[in-house]
Order: sequence, then C-alpha cells, then structure tokens
Amino acid sequence: MLRRKQFWFAIMAILPTFAIFGWVRLFPIIETLRLSMHEWNLLSKNKPFVGFQNFIELFGDNQFMDALTNTAVIAFGAMAVTIPMSMVLAAIIYHRTRSRFSGFYETAVFIPHVVSLVPAAMAWKWIFDAKLGPLNAIIMGLGGDALPWLFDPVLSVICIIFLVSWQTLGYGVLIYLVGFRNLPKSVFEAAQLDGANGFQSFLYMSVPLLKPITLYVSVVTLISGFNVYAQAYVLASDTQGAPGRQVRVLVLDMLENSFQNFRVGYAAAEAVILLSIVLLLTMIQFGLLRGKGGR
Amino acid sequence: MTKSIRSRALKTAVGLLLAGTVTANAQDVVIWGGFPELTGYYERVAESLSGKYPDLNVIVEPIGLRDHEKRVALGLSSGLDDATILELIGSTANRYIVNDLIQPAPEGVSTFVNDDSNFEAFFQETAKVNGTVYGVPVFRGQGALFYNTDMLAAAGLEGPPTTMDEYDEYAAKLTQRDADGNPTVSGWSLRLSGGGGGIAEKFWINLHQYGGTLLEKDGDNYRAGYANEHGLAALKQYVDAVSGVKTVTVEMPADAAAFQREQTAMFIRESWVIGDTAKKAPDLNYKTAVLPRGSIALPVNLYVSGGSDEAQTAAWDFAIAANEPEHLIWMLDNVGWLPNRSGVDYSGVVAAKPQFGAFVDLPEDYVFFTLPSIEPINEILTRFAAHLVDAYADESLVGNDAAMLEVLKASAEETNKILNRAGILAK
Repeated sequence: MLRRKQFWFAIMAILPTFAIFGWVRLFPIIETLRLSMHEWNLLSKNKPFVGFQNFIELFGDNQFMDALTNTAVIAFGAMAVTIPMSMVLAAIIYHRTRSRFSGFYETAVFIPHVVSLVPAAMAWKWIFDAKLGPLNAIIMGLGGDALPWLFDPVLSVICIIFLVSWQTLGYGVLIYLVGFRNLPKSVFEAAQLDGANGFQSFLYMSVPLLKPITLYVSVVTLISGFNVYAQAYVLASDTQGAPGRQVRVLVLDMLENSFQNFRVGYAAAEAVILLSIVLLLTMIQFGLLRGKGGR
Repeated sequence: MTKSIRSRALKTAVGLLLAGTVTANAQDVVIWGGFPELTGYYERVAESLSGKYPDLNVIVEPIGLRDHEKRVALGLSSGLDDATILELIGSTANRYIVNDLIQPAPEGVSTFVNDDSNFEAFFQETAKVNGTVYGVPVFRGQGALFYNTDMLAAAGLEGPPTTMDEYDEYAAKLTQRDADGNPTVSGWSLRLSGGGGGIAEKFWINLHQYGGTLLEKDGDNYRAGYANEHGLAALKQYVDAVSGVKTVTVEMPADAAAFQREQTAMFIRESWVIGDTAKKAPDLNYKTAVLPRGSIALPVNLYVSGGSDEAQTAAWDFAIAANEPEHLIWMLDNVGWLPNRSGVDYSGVVAAKPQFGAFVDLPEDYVFFTLPSIEPINEILTRFAAHLVDAYADESLVGNDAAMLEVLKASAEETNKILNRAGILAK
C-alpha cells in the first residue's frame, strides 16, 4: 500500500517537469514534423496536406542546397578548428595552473563565449572589412594583397567558420580543462618513468583518455555549427555602405521562407532535415568514439 | 488567519482590476515601423494629440526593415494585444488584408483617404484592396540620382547624365584609381551585395530605364519580364561596370555612406539621403537629378490592428494627424522621406534644399512603377537577387551576351515557377 502511495507521489512529483518538457521540447518537434507535410502561409486558416511534396521540392531547390552545403562546411570547419585548438590550449593552461596568470588565461579564452553575438559579429565585420579593416591592413603591411573577406564566396564562408570557432573555443577549453584535471596522475607518472616526454604523454595518454570529452565537445560544436545564423546575418547586414555577401545557411533560409516568403510548411521541412542531420551525425560521433574505447 | 488571507486576496484582485482599468484608460498605442529615422516624426505627432488624448501613450518601436517585416508577420498571425499602428508598403499589407488580419479603416478615415484633395488616385489605390480603404498613405520611397558636383567638375563633366549610355560614360570618367589601376573611388555605386531582395529591386530601377520590367502584368496574372533585350542591357551594364571596366567593385564601400564620405561619385537612392546627408556630411557638395525614364515609387501606409475600440480610434486619429501639413513638412525637412499628401506647400523646404527638386519637379512623361501586391513578391526578388549576385562577379560573362541571356532565362524560369505555384502565372 505504502509502495503504491510512494509510486503515485513520485509520479505526481515528476509530472510537472514532464509536462513542461513535453510542452516546450516535444510539442514543437511534433508540430514541426506535422507542418512539414502541409502547405501553410502563416496567415491562412487552411493548411492543406501535401505529403512529402515540400521535401521533394527542397532537393531541387538551389538555394536550399547552397544553404545545406554552406552550413555543413561551416559546422565541420568549426569543429575541425575548435577540437584540436581547445585541446591544445587547455593542455597549455593546465600545465600553467600554478602560474599567477592562469585565471587570466582561462577568462581570456572563455570571454568570447559569453559576449553577445551581434556586437561581436559587428566588430568582426569591421576587422574583415576589405578597405578599412585591420586584417587587410596587416596583410598589406606584410606585402600581400588586400582580400575581399566578406564578398568572396569562399572567403566569406571562412570568415563565418572563424567567427563560430572563436565563440565556441572558450567553451571547449573549459570542458577540456575539467577533463585534464580529472585525468589519473599515476598513469602519467608511470609514463614519465618509462621515459615518455611531455609531447608523447599528451599524444598517447591525454588524447585517448580525453575521448569522452572530445565526444561531448564535438557534438556541442557540430550542433552549434549547424545552427549558425546570427554570424551570417550580421556579416551581410544591409547597413548603409558596407553590406557583405549573404552566405546562405539553413537557419537563415528557414527564417526567410517562413517570415518573408510565407512558406512555413516548406521551412518546417528544412527544419526536419536539419534535425535529421544533427541526430544522424551525433549518433555517428557516439558510435565512432565509443567504439574506439571512449566511455 | 483565513480571513486575513481572503481579505488580502480580495485587495489584490481589486488592485489588479484597477490597474487594468488604468492601463485601458491610458490608451497605449504602439507604432511598429521599419524606418528608425522616423521616430522623431511620430513623437511630434503624438505630442500634437496630447490635447485631444491626455492619456494617450504612444510607444514608437522602430527596427530595421527586414526584421520589421518578420515582426509584423509573427505579430499579426499570433494577435496583437495593444492597438498597433503598422507601417507597411501596400504590396506587403495586401497579404494580411486578404487573410483578414487587418481590418478596414473606419468610415471617417476612409472618407479622408478617398478625398481627392488629400491624395492622388495612385496613393489612394495603394491603401485599398478591392475598393475598400485599409490604410492611410503617409510617405513614399522614390529614386533619383545623387551626384557629387565637385567630382563631376574635376572630371570636366557638366550636369548629370541623362541617358543610360551617359551613366556608363560618366562612371568611367568619375572613377578614381590607384597607381595599379584599381578603383579607389567608384564612379557609380551600385547595389551588388547584402541580403534580401534589395539587389533585385535596384536592378529593376535600372531595368526600368531601359524600358523593361521585372514582372509583366497580363490581366490579373504576371510573368517574368526580364529575359529579353531590356534585361540583357541592364545586366550587361552591371557586369561591365563590376567585372569589365571596373568602375565599381563588390568590395568597395557603397550606398549613402560611401557617397557621404566621397568614396563614390554618384548613386541612385531615395530622398531620405538628403536628410541623412544634412546630418552626416553637411559640407558635401551634391545635387540630384531625375532618372532617364522614371522611378520606383513605394508608398508606405499606416494600418491599425489589435487593441480595444477606444485605443483603435486613437490609433486611427494618430494616422490622420500624421498627415497634418506641419508634420509632413517637418518630415520632409528633417528626415527626407517624401510625403504623399497633396495640397501641402512644401516649397519652403524645396527652396532651402534644392536637392528635393529631382523628387518633386518631374518631367511630364516620367514613368513610375511599384512592386505588385502579390504574395510571392519577396520570394521572387530574393531568388532573383541570388542569381544577380553571382552574375555580377562572374568575369566570364563580360562581353558574352549569350551567356548573360542564359542567366536571365534560368532566373526567369524560376520566377515563373514561383508565380505558377501561387496560381498567378500569365499564360
């Protein structure tokens, strides 16, 4: 009798949390799935069912394919930059823990992660500016030619990869630092006794032992890379005088289709594809890293 | 104890009710605009209504145009609590009106708009759908050429260009280059990058000068109208300027900011540049000129949605007060947007700022065009813009008319597909 009461008490206690989770997490996903099979202009009361028509149209849509390619390049590019850099930076900071500047190092790399994205992107827009930006000033000072960072199709994507990496790096370093601090010291002492130098210890001990951390950081970086929006939007913003090339990314394409083209079902189909890609990649990452000894 | 709690609850409820009443009496009216430079104008109008509405609380919330359009879409589809005045181009408002999300204007407002002494038929029509008035015309975007008189004089040029061929000649002569021949000051600044449909809209203005149009109307339907000799002439001009003679490049500073900093010699823009330049570059020597054939005219109207009946009445009164001559003259003088109301004496402002001349003293055969009120207009412009951005920077297109025509045909096919999907493709 008591167990039954405890059971119902537990259910009642957990129900509000489940209800909130269902409302703010599950319902939007289910609603997006439903909308992706309908045609809806956001304003009309009618939402005719169109089956997979939105998905079929998407794969023949050049703008969507551009957005998909750009987003994938940005997400993987940011991951490829963030993972090794945050691991190395965390290793350096960890080995300088006793330095009186260690707090400063940690704060310095973490600040970009908490800085508001729009003003940060505006600052980077100025840095990348072809005529007035300090980056081109440095390149020209070194004897090179000024580059159209925000206008060239390839360079503008690189700028966004750089911006995304700059923001996620601090978070990656922080997580790796926690990982370094939890590594068993005895293993490294044993390696040292066997004659391993610092670099060998890092490469053959730290890197494999940090696989769970690498898994976590790579999943987080990849997901945030696939959700890139504000960076692309601000770098090409239509302010007077210096717009840049609009790098089409998935979220931007979705927003445009929803609220400018009024094709909400079509945008929902894009969201479903984005969700599927992120889920698939996350599963692959878990599989790869767990299968090779990750925990 | 229980009594005390009940009493407190009762007091709280009464307090909340009173607070609600106070809020309702305060008559909050929110203005959603896409032109932040008009904030001062709306504040002046609000002040002028303080006698009639002592409790009127006008909250002006302007943001950038692209974000404003998204905000209106979300706000109207999910419902607005406060009486909200929406600043919208007629073609944009149309989709909300046909979906019953914006209600017709009350009779008094309708009479005001339909009065021929207040507005010309063109502006009346943009505020109507199927003969019913939904909005109050306020101002319009209209293009003209801005040119730096010092730069023209230095290049030995007298007066502005008057034909599209002359635009090219002027651009070539006005471009300043470094020792390597790279342009440092563009001869004619063109819209070549950025987001949204602005690139296509600006292309349309040039296309119009060649006698072309982006969308051909046939009865109630439309078809792409630019995959022809007019479209080719306009695209050729852009491609030559950017990738051929390089009188302008994609990465050069552009638009009003570049003009005010003397980084470009001429460009086509709306009248707000006059007000903006007066603030940012008061010593700049420049004039304006009419375009060779005509200009785009994008009339912006005020619509009202949401809120109580009393607040809506106040909001409509605000929209009419916004058309009082003193406010319109102030707007023209201080902001630079062109008021739509007829019968107002703007001569004082035009005399003091002769640059307005090219916007009001127009040749008799000057031809205006506007964006059609069709649902997929944004999508058509945005997708066409994506093709244009690639074409402008494609050096292989220079001198290759056939390839340029192919670009236009591919884009026109996409435009027609969008029109077909919307059920308005002309056969």
